[in-house]
Amino acid sequence: MSAELLLSASVMGLLLGGLYASVAIGLSLIFGIIRVINFAHGGFLMMAMYASFWLWYFFQINPYLSIIVVVPLFFFFGYIVQNTLIKPMFVRERALVVEPLGVLLLMAGFDLVLANLALLFFKSDYRAIVSPIASATISLEFIELNVPRFIVLVLSFIITGGLTWLMNYTEIGVAIRAVGQNREAAALCGINVYKIYNITFGLGTAAVALAGAAMVPFYYVNPSMGLPLGVKSFIVVVLGGLGSIPGALLGGLILGIIESITAQFVTSTSAVIFSFLLFIIVLFVRPKGLMGIIEA
Amino acid sequence: MKRFKNAFKILSLSFLLIFACWEVVWATEVLIGQVLPLSGGAAPQGTQIKTGAEIAVEEINAEGGIKSLGGAKIKLIFGDSKSTPDGGAAETERLCTREKVSLILGAFQSGVTFPATEVAERYKTPWIVNVAVKDEITERGFKYVFRDFNKASYDILEMIKAVELFAKETGKKPKTFALMYEGTDWGRSSAQFVKKFYPEKGYKMVLEESYAPGIADFTPQILKIKAAKPDMLIVALYTPEHVLFSKQQMEQKLYLPYGLWSVGAGSEDPTFYKAVPIKAVEFMFVQDDWDVNAPQRPWFPSLDQKTKAKLGYGLNSYVACGYGTMYLVKDVLERAASTDRDKIRDAIAATDITPQTCGRIERKVDGKTYCPALVRGITRIKFDEQGQNTFSHGMITQNQKGVKIPFWPVEARPAGAKLVWPIPPWDKR
Repeated sequence: MSAELLLSASVMGLLLGGLYASVAIGLSLIFGIIRVINFAHGGFLMMAMYASFWLWYFFQINPYLSIIVVVPLFFFFGYIVQNTLIKPMFVRERALVVEPLGVLLLMAGFDLVLANLALLFFKSDYRAIVSPIASATISLEFIELNVPRFIVLVLSFIITGGLTWLMNYTEIGVAIRAVGQNREAAALCGINVYKIYNITFGLGTAAVALAGAAMVPFYYVNPSMGLPLGVKSFIVVVLGGLGSIPGALLGGLILGIIESITAQFVTSTSAVIFSFLLFIIVLFVRPKGLMGIIEA
Repeated sequence: MKRFKNAFKILSLSFLLIFACWEVVWATEVLIGQVLPLSGGAAPQGTQIKTGAEIAVEEINAEGGIKSLGGAKIKLIFGDSKSTPDGGAAETERLCTREKVSLILGAFQSGVTFPATEVAERYKTPWIVNVAVKDEITERGFKYVFRDFNKASYDILEMIKAVELFAKETGKKPKTFALMYEGTDWGRSSAQFVKKFYPEKGYKMVLEESYAPGIADFTPQILKIKAAKPDMLIVALYTPEHVLFSKQQMEQKLYLPYGLWSVGAGSEDPTFYKAVPIKAVEFMFVQDDWDVNAPQRPWFPSLDQKTKAKLGYGLNSYVACGYGTMYLVKDVLERAASTDRDKIRDAIAATDITPQTCGRIERKVDGKTYCPALVRGITRIKFDEQGQNTFSHGMITQNQKGVKIPFWPVEARPAGAKLVWPIPPWDKR
């Protein structure tokens, strides 16, 4: 194993990790505040990627430009989903529990609905953007760096930074954190808890939509594409720490680098074992994840 | 009152009996099950096979149905395997017990077909395998399982024959190869034969690599391949991974002097070619499971149009597979003259379709007759004692400027076709 190869694999792992992180941040935010594991996260990603893809397909809008449309659109989509689907379950189970299990099943079902609607309307074909921007590369010393993948890595830092700033330095951010820490106490202080839930869910959805739109140039879109990335997101979130936004970034980067480097020593099917091994070790040694604030 | 109840019972029972007999004597419909991946990773191919089968059934039913069954119509019942083994087994169970189909086709993926045929065998329901190539599917001593397609070993042998032919023609022979495959039954089965046959012919394997489905990035694998410096790379990839891999190997300028050899699946899917730049697949070799010269055949335009109307793109190998097998089913039903599973099983075993013995299923387009069961480009369907059609074969093509040109077998090679061998480096393309 030469040092060059190891270095190349690390750089590639960083890019892959950026992808995992950017997808997972939204999931982490929603879990941290609403305590709901959003099983439809992969479905949201798939829908956002389709939205961006169709804008390119029909109107030749650059996927990076489509962010201006897709992100607000998915903020409202998330807002409405929380307000119309999840809120009633919270209201119904208010007296019984803090984290309604029903929402888990509801979102798993909603994911199936989204995937099958996409299958019905968009067909099962794999689609991808074919344009020079998709394959642009920068030649480094030993490797070719794919520009769109690099943009996603940068974006994962921007999303993390942006959300951290929002949480710490704005009034709405303080309200969101208050609700996340103690729902009843926040309500007593005059915070409209359900509205905060709507906004948080919208923010989480917008974050994954942003990642999705930026993935369109180099990835493919397909109705069933959400599942594998959704599963990876859960691993990233638990690894990094449930509810922690910088934790999701860290978890994503670690997972990407481990996958990339171990794949240099063993076959990629066996390399998966190592990422799960790390996952188990973290769960044993530090059940709340690397930067977690909530016990798993 | 009690007497009334009994009379009612007897009456309704006898009605049931009459209806049941009616069904048997006057079969107006033959139920054919088809287990396919209609969602999940292999959904494009599943949909293509489904479309081919539907086109064939529409034709058969419009042209008088199954004559030996008094013009009975074929009714297709689909089961969605969701591209998963357990999904396929569950749907097979449903088709065998609840839907009571006479025959099942499917299920495209080897990993799904392998366990699903086991379920069908248990219910003594005949199964004609659609596409799934894993050799062992027909090597378990099963009585009800048949396959009119290639085995994985056939695919690999065809690729070796092509390499040997190209080496003989040009005097330039590759020495080493690398192998990368998807980690389920199809990839593993193909890999098993690559590892067996290539070294026998003197090629040295420098790298073996597999991956789990759902992979998001191929650069770690490409780095490995680059470091191993093989003369050629043999891959077995489904569509999504083939899209990612083809693009990334172009970006990383992975240079393979004797080419990228794809065993099929992803590289036979028309949606794959829409999703990648032409440059990414330039000079790629593909083991194609059908007659790439089909557009010159007289029946092609009508079938191509029917496909376009349903799918938005033209005829390809998997649509042709679905179509051809359905006509094999028609031939079987005409001879079985029954919807009984065992009689159908015996009729399948006795199949022998050649262009000369195609009378029962022959069709005419623009005044020219053709044998619809053989549209895939094969010349005969006859099963050996294991249920395998030993006359199945494919073609080896090379992509040149977005067009697939067949180079093996030599008879299929179009006049003036020029093989690119070895392949120029990236900066000279």
